[in-house]
Amino acid sequence: MGIISVENLKYKYPDTDKLVLNDLSFDVEQGEYIGLIGKNTAGKSTLCFALAGLVPHFFNGAYGGKVLINELEVRQHEIGEISSHVGLVFENPFSQMTGSKYTVYEEIAFGLENMGLDRETMIHRIDESLELLDITGIQDKNPFDLSGGQMQRVAIASVIAMKPDILILDEPTSQLDPQGTDEVFKVIENLRKEGITIIMAEHKIDKMAGYADKILFMHDGKLIDYSSPGEVFSRDDLEDYGMTAPAVTRISKSLGIQNKQNGLYPVTLKELSREIGDTYELHRN
Amino acid sequence: MSKTSMWSFKLSTAAIALIPAAIGINYLGKLFAGLLKLPLWLDSIGTVLASMLAGPIIGALSGIINNIIYGITVDPISTVYAITSGAIGLIVGVMAYKGWLKNVKTAIVIGFVVGIAAAIISTPLNIIFWGGQTGNVWGDAFYAFLVSNNVPVWLASFGDSFVVDVPDKIASVIISYFIFKGLPKNFNTIFRSSDKIEQL
Amino acid sequence: MSTMTLYVDRNSILHNTHPLTKLLYVMVSIAITYIIPEVTFVFTVAMITLILLILGKVFRKIVPILGLSIILIISIIIVQGFFHPENQTELFSLGFLTFYQEGLSYAALLTLRVMNMVMSFGILILTTRHDELVEALIKKGLSPKIGYVLLSVLQLIPQMRATMGKITDAQRSRGMETEGNLLVRMKAFFPLIGPVVLNSLNVTRERAIALEVRGFNANRQRSFLNVSKEYRYQKLVQILLWTALIAAIVWRIVTWGS
Repeated sequence: MGIISVENLKYKYPDTDKLVLNDLSFDVEQGEYIGLIGKNTAGKSTLCFALAGLVPHFFNGAYGGKVLINELEVRQHEIGEISSHVGLVFENPFSQMTGSKYTVYEEIAFGLENMGLDRETMIHRIDESLELLDITGIQDKNPFDLSGGQMQRVAIASVIAMKPDILILDEPTSQLDPQGTDEVFKVIENLRKEGITIIMAEHKIDKMAGYADKILFMHDGKLIDYSSPGEVFSRDDLEDYGMTAPAVTRISKSLGIQNKQNGLYPVTLKELSREIGDTYELHRN
Repeated sequence: MSKTSMWSFKLSTAAIALIPAAIGINYLGKLFAGLLKLPLWLDSIGTVLASMLAGPIIGALSGIINNIIYGITVDPISTVYAITSGAIGLIVGVMAYKGWLKNVKTAIVIGFVVGIAAAIISTPLNIIFWGGQTGNVWGDAFYAFLVSNNVPVWLASFGDSFVVDVPDKIASVIISYFIFKGLPKNFNTIFRSSDKIEQL
Repeated sequence: MSTMTLYVDRNSILHNTHPLTKLLYVMVSIAITYIIPEVTFVFTVAMITLILLILGKVFRKIVPILGLSIILIISIIIVQGFFHPENQTELFSLGFLTFYQEGLSYAALLTLRVMNMVMSFGILILTTRHDELVEALIKKGLSPKIGYVLLSVLQLIPQMRATMGKITDAQRSRGMETEGNLLVRMKAFFPLIGPVVLNSLNVTRERAIALEVRGFNANRQRSFLNVSKEYRYQKLVQILLWTALIAAIVWRIVTWGS
């Protein structure tokens, strides 16, 4: 069994009739980087909430099935307990600042104070996350004086300092400018090297395609596909679900450039150039 | 809306996070009223809204903390009225829960009850702390008029608070009522502290 | 980003006093001026408070705060001077209005109490950092959730004030009337406050989520990043303050009826 195991998960928000999560089942292995894609109404955010325990504990509503995190059943445990296993970061950096702390350093300490850690451990962990997120230079600034990209990195650092095994990012760059987006993607790459399991919902499919180990593709609360980026983005029915493949894949499709072994279209420039290289080699010989 | 006790002390994080927002809205109401030169304070709209959304406990806390914060940042005098503000939140919360938020007419009743209650609670405070006055020019002129006509101090002081509080609270509750009715439906559910999770 | 604070960063004897000692001073000094209704006594307490403010190097900062209660004070003097029910002894007349001694001495008592109240608050709020005060209260047993509320309000209000500026400009540029008769101005209130309310409720929802995932609701014993400052002689000062309060109550009981 993986680090995350979801079985027949169903969920409805209070006072609504529609299942936002409709019978989802999947497993995630330790250290994997999962890209979560789908249209706006697909249920991506709700799934993120369900993995962090906010569904059902924060939102209430109607719930069915099981989510196991590190063999801990989410339904049976409080969010406070789940939060030491799962960290959640979402789109709006502004509302993720607690508002009760005057410096970035103290802001990151907030979660650790709630965990009741002793001071030395706290300082050690804060310094570590500042380093990891490359924000040591702004540690004494007021969180609300920062740029969007900086603020979002502080939000990630605040969660990372709590040392979760799993980090869930729900469209963390959708409110950021291109520079902020690059900053965030860069630090996520660092975190991945640290061995943290990452699940990221993201509209910027081109960026996602290059990084993710697997793509979890949702539509209307249901799981459509859960496999490698190549397989998901090579599907012919993507557009029926209101999605477009990465630019590289679309170009390859129209040019008919496929991987010889498995027949999938390239999803990154690297793969594309490899295929072209091979083709080029073939033609030369 | 599920019916859990309105006195539930297990306050949700959403309800706690609502308090600072309520205090901010109070503050902005006062600023906008000043900007538009309205003859009212309109500085309790946030408290009233918080009570409508999250019940009497959160409403009362919003009121009390509002005056403490205002006291330590702007005007120490206002700390004295923390009790009044707390009562406003409490009463709106209870009446909203008991179904007095049906239409504008019942909302006006809430405003009237709150205004009277505010005047009743403020009166002893005004007498103890400043001899019966409020520091509001119109109210104090009315007070002077009553006292000079041999009306007892406590009644004059009540009159002073009454002419100031009742119109202001009625207006505040009506404004809050319209805002509350205009909110998207899914806003309300997270502020209520219900533990109900249905099984699918 | 500005925070809402009146704190003045200086180094003084008051800055080096424990926040809770100062809080106790505020409560005791206000209480005793109401327990003992003697002008000379209240005057003495107000003078002590004033001297403390000077020692705390924040005297000049209290003046604008006192200014806020000036209307109340003037109103007290005029209304009590003219209309106090026990007025008998004429002091002087201004045209058809007559000032009485009873009313004026009562007004003096009230005014001194108000000034002492504002000044003693000044001792606490001008020389104490908010976060230090709140952390001290949490260590004394205040719910950390209420502590959070207190601290976050102080940062949120300046932000909302900034939002208000944006909204006012936006609505004005759309041609909203903010001048004119009362009805026009009343109607303008909704488009101004509506967006702020909606926006702040949205932020509230998201912030609550962010707090939850950072263990805000966990029932564990909290710890603190900041170390509390060491203060000396605090117990002694606090005992003295409690003694003053008890002495005032005893005095009041003993002189009851006389």
